[in-house]
Amino acid sequence: MGYSRIQLWQYITAILLIFLLAWHFASRLPFLRGVESFAETLAPDKVYEDVGGATGILALALAYTALFHGLNGLRGILLEWLGPSRKPVINTVIIILFIVFAGLATYGVTGITKP
Amino acid sequence: MAGKGERRFLKNMPGWRASFNPWILRLPNNPERLAFVLHRITGILLVLILFVHITFTTTPATRGWEFWVEEIKRAQGITPVTLYFFIFAGIAIFHGLNGIRLLLVEFLGCCVGKPEKPKPPYISATLRASQRTLLYIVFALWIVLWMIAGYIIFT
Repeated sequence: MGYSRIQLWQYITAILLIFLLAWHFASRLPFLRGVESFAETLAPDKVYEDVGGATGILALALAYTALFHGLNGLRGILLEWLGPSRKPVINTVIIILFIVFAGLATYGVTGITKP
Repeated sequence: MAGKGERRFLKNMPGWRASFNPWILRLPNNPERLAFVLHRITGILLVLILFVHITFTTTPATRGWEFWVEEIKRAQGITPVTLYFFIFAGIAIFHGLNGIRLLLVEFLGCCVGKPEKPKPPYISATLRASQRTLLYIVFALWIVLWMIAGYIIFT
């Protein structure tokens, strides 16, 4: 009987998220962005610096990784609550949610224009 | 063997309420269970926040920078927007720190102690190992980092 490797991917995405989220949070620190306040780190030019250039790939990687890790975690919890008999329904809903929000994130990064 | 009409799977489903009850095991001194419950609650909340976060951060592409600038004006001082960021930070910091602890303990088998012959009072070696110190460090660091995040967000 084969076994699932999805829990291994849950750990791998968790490790990736440590670094990607550290970068994401660091980009909101005023002293690292050369501004006075948290609100100023959200100014259009600063946001464009985060997602408009090459770092847009990092933002996308963060979105995909967080979606995978979060939705797979939610899938595990739902399977525990509702039982393995609902596995096909739960898997379908989770995959649809991943596609919708990954698509939205992709459009958010690739469709951004210079302010 | 399961007969006709019986459940195909072993009944090991304590239900959704058990996920949110840190005292279900009725054991004294059980911070691991509290961490498990908090990790689960923060995980579910983070998925919901992630949906909102992705939807909102797409607005410069979907609705233009004008809408973004109007919303960001509300991110100064103590407002619903900054409170949202503060709560988000607290949830994410706990889940992240406890996640690092779980990676060390579960994935790498770090700080769980060595197996030993069971003897009275039958307290697992794991519960006496340094993983518990790690857990207390997580709780302490969480509070400190959350306060720092609050200072950055509200000032």
